Amino acid sequence: MRCSQVQDLAFRLAPFLGAKCREANINPRTQALVSSISPTFPLHSQLLRLPKSTMSSQYTVLEDIPKIHATALRAFNADKAKSISFRKNQIAQVGYILKDNEDRWKEALRLDLGRHPLEAELYDFVTVLKDVRLAYDKVGKWARVQRTEFNMKYFAMGPKTKAEPKGVALIISPFNVPIFLSLGPLVSAIAAGCAAVIKPSEATPHVSKLLAELIPKYLDSELYHVIQGGAEQTSKALELRWDHIMYIGGTHVGRIVAQAAAKHLTPVTLELGGKNPVVVDPNVDLPLTARRLLWGRFGNAGQVCTCPEYVLVPRTFQDKFVDALKDAYHEFYPDGPEHSDSFGRIVSKHHTKRIEGLLEHTRGEIICGGEVDVDKKYVAPTIVNNVPADDSLMSEEIFGPVLLVIPVEDVDEAITFIRSRENPLAVYVFSQDKKFQEKVFSKTKSGAALANDSVFSPAVPGFPIGGVGASGYGYYAGKQAFEQFTYYRVMLDNPKWVDTFIFGFRFPPYKMTYKKYMNMMYPTLPPRPKSSISNRPEKC
Amino acid sequence: MSEQYTPLDDIPRVLASARTAFLSDRAKPVAFRKQQIAQVGYLLKDNEERFKEALKLDLGRHAVETELFDFGPTYKDVRVAYDNVDKWTKVQPVDFNLNYIAMRPTIKAEPKGVILIVSAFNVPLFLTLGPLVSAIASGCAAVIKPSEAVPHVNLLLAELIPKYLDPELYHVIQGGVAETSKILELRWDHSEFSRGERVGRIIAQAAAKHLTPITLELGGCKNPVVVDPKVDIEMTARRLLWGRFSNAGQVCTCPEYVLVPRTFQSTLLSALKDAYGKFYPEGPENSDSFSRIVTREHAARLQGLLKRTNGEIVCGGDVNVEKKYVAPTIVNNVTAEDALMGEEMFGPVLLIVPVEDVDEAIAFIRARETPLAVYVFSQDKKFQEKVFSSTRSGAALANETVLSPAVPGFPVGGVGASGYGYYAGKQAFEQFTHYRVSLDNPSWVDTLVFGFRFPPYRDTYKRYVKMMHAPLPPRPTKGAKTTGPGVAWTWWISFVVSRLVSASSLMLVRSSDALRRLKP
Repeated sequence: MRCSQVQDLAFRLAPFLGAKCREANINPRTQALVSSISPTFPLHSQLLRLPKSTMSSQYTVLEDIPKIHATALRAFNADKAKSISFRKNQIAQVGYILKDNEDRWKEALRLDLGRHPLEAELYDFVTVLKDVRLAYDKVGKWARVQRTEFNMKYFAMGPKTKAEPKGVALIISPFNVPIFLSLGPLVSAIAAGCAAVIKPSEATPHVSKLLAELIPKYLDSELYHVIQGGAEQTSKALELRWDHIMYIGGTHVGRIVAQAAAKHLTPVTLELGGKNPVVVDPNVDLPLTARRLLWGRFGNAGQVCTCPEYVLVPRTFQDKFVDALKDAYHEFYPDGPEHSDSFGRIVSKHHTKRIEGLLEHTRGEIICGGEVDVDKKYVAPTIVNNVPADDSLMSEEIFGPVLLVIPVEDVDEAITFIRSRENPLAVYVFSQDKKFQEKVFSKTKSGAALANDSVFSPAVPGFPIGGVGASGYGYYAGKQAFEQFTYYRVMLDNPKWVDTFIFGFRFPPYKMTYKKYMNMMYPTLPPRPKSSISNRPEKC
Repeated sequence: MSEQYTPLDDIPRVLASARTAFLSDRAKPVAFRKQQIAQVGYLLKDNEERFKEALKLDLGRHAVETELFDFGPTYKDVRVAYDNVDKWTKVQPVDFNLNYIAMRPTIKAEPKGVILIVSAFNVPLFLTLGPLVSAIASGCAAVIKPSEAVPHVNLLLAELIPKYLDPELYHVIQGGVAETSKILELRWDHSEFSRGERVGRIIAQAAAKHLTPITLELGGCKNPVVVDPKVDIEMTARRLLWGRFSNAGQVCTCPEYVLVPRTFQSTLLSALKDAYGKFYPEGPENSDSFSRIVTREHAARLQGLLKRTNGEIVCGGDVNVEKKYVAPTIVNNVTAEDALMGEEMFGPVLLIVPVEDVDEAIAFIRARETPLAVYVFSQDKKFQEKVFSSTRSGAALANETVLSPAVPGFPVGGVGASGYGYYAGKQAFEQFTHYRVSLDNPSWVDTLVFGFRFPPYRDTYKRYVKMMHAPLPPRPTKGAKTTGPGVAWTWWISFVVSRLVSASSLMLVRSSDALRRLKP
């Protein structure tokens, strides 16, 4: 099964949409499992159960889920969330959920992901606070009624466009950056004037519990809700009709979410993963590149969807580059990574085992790390050299602290390599040469294109974060995320004299004099293109 | 006309050819896009008479309607895209932010890839060429599948598009259900559909399998009109009937039912009858100003609905399935449960639904699926505002019907059951665009401040990470400490100053040390 933090979710949801999953190229193991359970529909009683989380007592009762949706819908329909001052108030409150409880959040993240507080700050706090500030400052502007550009012919009707909330949004967030990926979309939903229900990942029970405790305390308890639980709760929620669904997680569950949404004609935002490539130019500050790469790959134990996964490096430069990586590695973990408090853990034993399996089957050469302790959910930060294109480690998103080095001849081969794969969420280039950067970026497609750094595009205020192709569609963060939860309603008021003056020709019975008026309404065409550029018709 | 259908085996090849052309980056330069956008305009302009003739054959349309519904809006899209594509595609820096200025963060509009456009029969040129213009503007390749219900228009599009536009980037597939299902098996980078709700669901599920983003323009539900007694009644009647009977009612933004206060009902009705008489002085059947239904099946469907109604047919009501003719019809006293209130009619039948007052009208609209448009006829701004703010819809027009797709700069789209995503305007361009973020982080950023991020983590990080925290807005509850937006600035300034001071004092100390050592 390819990648994904929510793999177990996919695993358990599979029978729910069994037939469709089989078409969807899931690995044989899952397929066998799926078919063994006879995929009739719906299948809640037969849902495949993985060992339940110890915290499952905190799960939302299934019967409550439609009630939660109904409450949110009622509150939304009462126009409670519409006024800008209310939205700003709630957006600010989201910030204080975080600020007032910083230490509790850090503790929860340490328990769930073994994270150092610095990483908690960088990945979760900085990003949420940035979204809060941006939305708070901009929501007035974003939601303002906008006149369309002046146009003589329609000026009298006063045409304008208004951003209106879509309704009740469902936000399904993953375990890896659990606060940001829950509260960030929530801020956008609030800014848009929507009600929202968040379903955080069951893999981070301490964070989920805190969310469930604090959100009703700080925010309007009728408009904004938290559903805790696993696959059963998710599939129950997906049966309902939402006005928008934002899903952040893996491809397989993404597909299930998209199909469930399609039944209700619900629009969806999908933020999926992918393997993010790095292209390194020999003309580069080597120690800096090594440090920034390893930082990006080993932060949060590699469990970030924008992590760099594999590095395409010219053969002639490979040895030097690998040496620099080793140096940085030892600089990062002088007493070895296992005892370092600066290195996180894998979210579950299940995922640890998966990564162990991938490492066992690799034909590449492990030059740093490689140790795995499933019981401690520990995968050492690992660098694998000389990885072939069809290696086990190249078969799926690793979502763990394993950096692959792939030698290529030159930048053209690197570009071909990237283009022959699915579109990633990010392409990274390390080069001092602007032309080199531009060449790689313009020849590849990805959600983000970062030069000389990795991972942290979601922290930049104003950046929309989203994938393209296999890495998803739609955005979170920034104005674009606000627009995900918004629809633009067009308005005008046509005075009577418009008909008297000119537009009366439209009424039957039609007279041939219409042409005179019609020409007045047409915009003029742009000049006819010169035939030199491309195929102009012979003669018309 | 099924001999003109694209062979099934060719369909994957069409996609492959479009993809190859797209990957060659040919569609990317803005000059090329503008050239092709203009060509779309001339494709129409040079062949206006042929298109009018095709629409006459397919929909029995008068030339006025063809100009108003198809030519006008398409020319508008051409002009808007041509004039704005430079602006839309310009690389945009994000708003100034001191913490990130050194990295020069930018956002770039990039094309998604190969777009599939499946268009409806009712406004076949605008719903085909409009999205095509947006696709060209965003730098995408496109494959168009027009409706098989308008074969003459199809034939013309299939002939002219390769002639006027790049034949490898832009394609037309002709065909019916089999061809459409084949198309839906393939993986597109974005799909755009203007179709009914049932087909919409099938399409959305097919797209979900490939994780393809989609735009759905469904119509799907019935567009309501709320009439205030305080209104120019003659104008109201004319604009209502015009909106309802043009193109024989086959426009997704058509007004379908009128909610009118009981006390005002008879006044409105007689005004509607007057307008009806003026529109068709010799009866609608012989009028060249009235179109036909697209197919016999649809004419028969409308006949069935009209037979089952419990409302009172006050004008029209005649149907001739053979001639695909459904008379422009007004049905009075229609109740919420009537057969005509079930599905979207997509035919020239206007329903009058009496209500007590505007509150009942609003409740009536809210109890149903969200429509594509809500229309209000009232001179009173407050009345308009009341209806618009308590209802949801893609468009909210006062004292007018139907014509929102013709307004330059308007995005056209639904919400809820009427679909999602947009046609026309910048929003349509954005449908086919991916906003890619970019930055370049210089090395001194680590030296100066961002070096704290690297392991092994030290406790001093707190000093630096604070700088990256955006200052919170003031706490909403009273009496709490407030933090203004200036904090990050002051932090930065004091940080830089302190660094400078410590560096220079260090230098001073060192130099005085050196001086002392020099002394004998």
